[in-house]
Amino acid sequence: MLRSTRLWTTRIPTAGKLFLRNSSSNALNKNKLPFLYSSQGPQAVRYTTQHEWIAVHQDKTAFVGITKYATDALGDATYVELPEVGTEIAQGESLGSIESVKSASEIYQPADGTVEEINTNLEENPGVVNEDPMGDGWLVKMKLGEGVNVEQVEGLMSLEQYEKTLVHDD
Amino acid sequence: MYENMFTAPKKDFSIPQDEGKSATTKKTGTSLQEDINDFNKDLHNFYNIGFSRQVISASQLEDVVKSKGRFIIKSLSTSPYFNLALENYIFKNTPRVKKGFDNCRLLFYINDKCAVIGKNQNLWQEVDHIKLKNNNFELLRRFSGGGTVLHDLGNVNYSYLTSRENFETKFFNKMIIKWLNSFKPELGLELNDRGDIIQNGFKISGSAYKIAGGKAYHHATMLLNADLENFDGLLEPSLPGNMEWESSGVHSVKSKIKNVGVITPGQFISLVSERFQKTFKVDDNIPVYICDEFKSMNHEIENAMHTLQSNKWKYLSGPKFSVRIREKDLKIKVEKGMIYDCNRSELIGLEFKGFLENIDSYT
Repeated sequence: MLRSTRLWTTRIPTAGKLFLRNSSSNALNKNKLPFLYSSQGPQAVRYTTQHEWIAVHQDKTAFVGITKYATDALGDATYVELPEVGTEIAQGESLGSIESVKSASEIYQPADGTVEEINTNLEENPGVVNEDPMGDGWLVKMKLGEGVNVEQVEGLMSLEQYEKTLVHDD
Repeated sequence: MYENMFTAPKKDFSIPQDEGKSATTKKTGTSLQEDINDFNKDLHNFYNIGFSRQVISASQLEDVVKSKGRFIIKSLSTSPYFNLALENYIFKNTPRVKKGFDNCRLLFYINDKCAVIGKNQNLWQEVDHIKLKNNNFELLRRFSGGGTVLHDLGNVNYSYLTSRENFETKFFNKMIIKWLNSFKPELGLELNDRGDIIQNGFKISGSAYKIAGGKAYHHATMLLNADLENFDGLLEPSLPGNMEWESSGVHSVKSKIKNVGVITPGQFISLVSERFQKTFKVDDNIPVYICDEFKSMNHEIENAMHTLQSNKWKYLSGPKFSVRIREKDLKIKVEKGMIYDCNRSELIGLEFKGFLENIDSYT
């Protein structure tokens, strides 16, 4: 199943099913913080219909970003608006926005949580969102709310399910 | 003002054909009352309101906005706060459709004198807020992205709303260009690579977009017979002390503008409405609704108006920036409108706006 021979893949056998389609551009970048935050890698990566992704680690720390599909559709980002650290944001509420080519696109919170850190690199370098949306272009690091399990949150999808919705869109 | 709409003197509405140097060609000597009368007559003709077209009530507005399908809606209000809030209301309350038949809406509104900056702009770098005030231009920060534009009664705003899936930034302006050029081929309108409409190299229409909740809108200005001489200098901040800015956020791209000239606001609205009805018709005819800020007002629109009018939204949002004022040997950093870092510590914690208004007291 894991065709890659790189060392780290052997380290995360239980997470293997997440990366069935590791050739997909909407899969999390395994060489960047949202993945490397914990030594086991994220327990779950889920997607929303609004093209956000959320990668959740064992300690309930989660990273949120928007997918490659979305950034390709939006074009070059010129400004990224992010929430204040410490803000508690409920699922479905606005997490911020990305402006690209005169479009302001709202970003929504995939699951209840409190913002712990924002990717300040994007203030000066919004283009990173386009270059590496599934890695360095992460937007927010947060702590999931009490008892939130992204695998049970309604509306969140696996990579496979998400990519199926994209096929339908076309 | 609306009484005038029905009592405007019966004279032909004619518009000078502006040729590029808009700043020097304009109707001179027209009194405000004549302008208002002209405008009302124009509105009257285009909207075709007479007494047969009723302004819809708040509950009717809610019903049509929350129902599926396609419609055109025209605002009789010239308040930029009402019109942007109305647009926001329609946008938020249009049902999301994931597949198949989408819920298209086309909104028209004309704003009285105002400057409208993009959501993510530093207003101090974009407008001369003193000149705006002195010339009776309102200043608004809109909900969509993009750069700063000026409006007056000679400018028509159109706003096309559709699903996120069907949204393509240049789509609707391509339609507008096709429709207008087929109406008057001599117009020679073209789309530039930023999605704006140009005529002989001059910009006549600027666009901005918003994507949220699975839906998107494209709204744009169309300069038809705006008083361009009045626009002079309003987008050139003349702040004291040679300010040097450093700011993330979105900077406007300066363009030379002109009026289309040969089409009046009324003609534009009726032409685009008619072509839209033909092109976007599925089964039933696409209805046209008229609303205003009295009969059609609701709480949600009112709340959005308050947001747009608020100090917080206008002056205390937008991107972080830093500014250096050499003459005063000041280095200031601002986030959400507040000075959070400065080489003179007594300025920390002040609103940047208040600081600017009293800048002479800091030597």
